[in-house]
Amino acid sequence: MTAPSTHTTKPATGIPALLKTGFINAVIALVLFSLMVGIRTEAGSEGQLTYWTRFGELASLVAAVFGGSIVIELLRQWIGPTGAEKLVPPAVQSGMSFVGRYLAPALLIFTLLVPVIFYNQRYILDLAILVLTYVMLGWGLNVVVGLAGLLDLGYVAFYAVGAYSYALLATNFGWSFWICLPLAGILAAFWGVLLGFPVLRLRGDYLAIVTLAFGEIIRLVLINWQTLTGGPNGVSGIPRPTLFGIPLNNSDEGLAAKLGIEYSPTHRIVFLFYLILALALLTNWVTIRLRRLPIGRAWEALREDEVACRALGINTTTTKLTAFATGAMFGGFAGAFFATRQGFISPESFTFQESALVLAIVVLGGMGSQLGVALAALSMIGGFELFRGLETYRMLVFGWAMVLIMIWRPRGLVGHRAPTVYLKKAQAISSDLVKEGHG
Amino acid sequence: MTAASPLLAIRGLHAAYGKIEALKGVDVEINSGEIVALIGANGAGKSTLMMTIFGKPRARAGQILYEGKDITAVPTHEIAHLRIAQSPEGRRIFPRMSVAENLQMGADVTESTPAERESTLERVFALFPRLKERFAQRGGTLSGGEQQMLAIGRALMSRPRLLLLDEPSLGLAPLIARQIFDAIRTLNRQDGLTVLIVEQNANHALKLAHRGYVMVNGLITLAGSGAELLQRPEIRAAYLEGGRH
Repeated sequence: MTAPSTHTTKPATGIPALLKTGFINAVIALVLFSLMVGIRTEAGSEGQLTYWTRFGELASLVAAVFGGSIVIELLRQWIGPTGAEKLVPPAVQSGMSFVGRYLAPALLIFTLLVPVIFYNQRYILDLAILVLTYVMLGWGLNVVVGLAGLLDLGYVAFYAVGAYSYALLATNFGWSFWICLPLAGILAAFWGVLLGFPVLRLRGDYLAIVTLAFGEIIRLVLINWQTLTGGPNGVSGIPRPTLFGIPLNNSDEGLAAKLGIEYSPTHRIVFLFYLILALALLTNWVTIRLRRLPIGRAWEALREDEVACRALGINTTTTKLTAFATGAMFGGFAGAFFATRQGFISPESFTFQESALVLAIVVLGGMGSQLGVALAALSMIGGFELFRGLETYRMLVFGWAMVLIMIWRPRGLVGHRAPTVYLKKAQAISSDLVKEGHG
Repeated sequence: MTAASPLLAIRGLHAAYGKIEALKGVDVEINSGEIVALIGANGAGKSTLMMTIFGKPRARAGQILYEGKDITAVPTHEIAHLRIAQSPEGRRIFPRMSVAENLQMGADVTESTPAERESTLERVFALFPRLKERFAQRGGTLSGGEQQMLAIGRALMSRPRLLLLDEPSLGLAPLIARQIFDAIRTLNRQDGLTVLIVEQNANHALKLAHRGYVMVNGLITLAGSGAELLQRPEIRAAYLEGGRH
């Protein structure tokens, strides 16, 4: 597509302009497809090259591009330039603000009721747990990327550190989940600071490359440090979490037996669901609290302007390191949860694809927006499942959806950023203060 | 010039970016309660002097004394705690944060009580009523003049004794620039704030200032009272006539 700016300055109207656009695109298509489609090659029976031409298919493709580009051009002129703020009627605006105000509480209540509504649908419960895991990862990464503006492509490293911390501590020392959970968070935070130190001076692309490398280093260490991590075989037999020491199994010691109800494997799933929900809400609550404190404001200011931060007396070193550590800690919590849920972990679960997915959730959700990240995690992970029927076309549909979101909502699903500082008194501005000229 | 112990004394200051020397032995004194203007052409080293006071870049040689204490080696982020505030060149407000948050950022570093903070905020709003009108707006949506007011207001929120202003009139309409200069004068007269102002608009700055320094190629070439400097023929030729804003 051509840059929209050319259309905002000089909208190409009229039939000649349309035909010209269509023609140019058709020529490009002709060049591209002439070899790809126009000539079909194959190895013959004796290994020689046989080929034949398919000009019919080529012609129809070029014609389709010609027609399609005219249609797109017409649509664009009809919709108007992208990026321009459209005037929304007040009724729609108030409706949207109504939805905005009640969407988050409604979502939360619905989430709390999911195990009740879908008690007998194991598949949906598993999917909900998966979605919540990514909501938590998204909220954790949001601290680093959304608030502090540090592009981290290796977030999965902290997820891995958390998962392996719990797995190794629990299998080697038999420590309970509730002791290991904070330890996993602390260890992940420690590694976050360790990553933070070398990248203190870096920003943007350079930072992204180093964090990407860091993620790979952690994964490669997990694969190759066979004596500790079991290498590619991973760690198996990771203990399931207990409800303060009461296991959720079919034994006489189990929760079901103690409560005197019939045992069902779903109990454990429901418990896991509420566990990850609590962890995710903790992440959300801490982030919201921190945003109102000087440290959270300093993170956001750091994203905006580092020089101004220094002039205002902010220690940029500690500010960056705390952002890395906080984000990493939540990644570590999520990792510990992942390990206890799966019962088995291996380095394969912590590839770059996971980092990219979590980053996509944060960016699509609208950097810095808690609700947006939750919605993005729901639509991304839910979308994966929804399009499962499309099989090989799944990623195609998925990629298209991402492109469309970025075209129509370039700041993410929820691009609005709520301010955290308000004036205490109700604002009654006396007229003598506002009498000056407007310039 | 005559005071026994100036608020800020800069002695033989050298600073450089790599091999390029920006300051080649600068001596400047600022007494408590003064407005001092630093004028000079582009690239003379005015902004570098401002930033060297804040430790970025570090001084290669020389001394910066604040209230008699050597602050030459104090880390940048700690200098703001000494009640020196800076409104940097190009304003550098936080565009995605609201006006209220921008102001709060200025107050965050200081150990001021909520009551002090409230009264400082009132003072900033009295000086720049436009900020009060726009307190919930994002900083990036303000006009250039309002952004400059916000940058100064943000610096004031730390309750400074010494305010460093780098090119406050840059890119502003003359009327707005006058408002900014008026506010600086008010701060000095009513609140006793000491101000070091770097300006290209020599006419305005020298009329406002008690004293002025002229900087050329990293050296102070002239010093004197504002009125005196305004009368000097070489100043008039270099910075005023033909270059009058």
